[in-house]
Amino acid sequence: MEQKFTDLMLIQNVLNGDSAQYALLVKRHQRFVFTLALRFAKNREDAEEIAQDCFIKAYKALGTFKQTAKFSTWLYTITYTTAMTFLRRKRLETSSINDEETFLQLENHISGFNANGYERQDSHKYLNQAIQMLMPDDATIITLFYQGEQSLEEIGEMLNVEPNTIKVKLHRARHRLKEKLQYLLQDEVKELL
Amino acid sequence: MNTIEQQLWDYIDGNLGATEVRAIEEKIHSDAEVKLQYEAFLSLNLAFDKIELDEPSMSFTRNVMESVALEPAPVAMKTKVNTNIIYGIGGFFIMSLVALFSYALFNADIKFSDLDFKINANFNLNKYMTPTMLYSFLFADLVLGLVFLDYLLRKKTVH
Repeated sequence: MEQKFTDLMLIQNVLNGDSAQYALLVKRHQRFVFTLALRFAKNREDAEEIAQDCFIKAYKALGTFKQTAKFSTWLYTITYTTAMTFLRRKRLETSSINDEETFLQLENHISGFNANGYERQDSHKYLNQAIQMLMPDDATIITLFYQGEQSLEEIGEMLNVEPNTIKVKLHRARHRLKEKLQYLLQDEVKELL
Repeated sequence: MNTIEQQLWDYIDGNLGATEVRAIEEKIHSDAEVKLQYEAFLSLNLAFDKIELDEPSMSFTRNVMESVALEPAPVAMKTKVNTNIIYGIGGFFIMSLVALFSYALFNADIKFSDLDFKINANFNLNKYMTPTMLYSFLFADLVLGLVFLDYLLRKKTVH
């Protein structure tokens, strides 16, 4: 039923005073926004806070949304900036913790899963684990490109970077993701893929 | 950065022109190593496509809608700033001023000899440049600066 309404129709209804229609927009995009937030936050509570903040910001600024662009691109831009602000604030709070160290800890934590007999997990789980091991920027580009189905131009617009630079970054991110998968699965990587 | 790896990814993503597509296809068919690499990238690409999205908590939508209910309803910018209304108000004021000025001019008994005035060239600037005047000027500047900064920061927050 709700799929009958396009994003633009729902936005128009909200702007015409039917605020309840915003719930349909939230339901439609919440999984992606939450996943994108998770690429930065690394834990569900913080990711949910970012995602919630992002939807509230989008609601407040809905009147400024230029309806010639895709709503998803606009929403993901807000998600990205909100997540970046969150990450900066978090870094300030935990300035004593080195980033590389944090990711190394996460890596060890994840590789521990393997050693503890998690081999039975399916390929999706391993892929998600591998993506969690990437730096936020790499994980974001992979997520936007594959799950968000955003073009290089749209990602460039979101991150304020040239599409060609995004192409190179995507290439590197894929390479790193492949390495992380190999690290997690060692010889099993070929079977999995 | 235009390695064979990059070319293969561009081929998979569909970012190559017709000539480049033909060239890379030729390489894939003639070079067994490139073919193997291409097949590996294809399966990797398929795997990346399958990465699943995470699901937020069940109460997520409800939480958002509860927070949203506390915010003022958004209004389309077109409704917010209707240029016709602005021009209408501006036109009304200009017309009123012109009408008032014309009425005053029409009723005033002005002779051209009255306009023969002399400019007082002995203007003493120091008399007006008091510390109070200077402080007031700086205060007004500071307020204007803060207003501008607030405007910039609000703009940044929205984007």
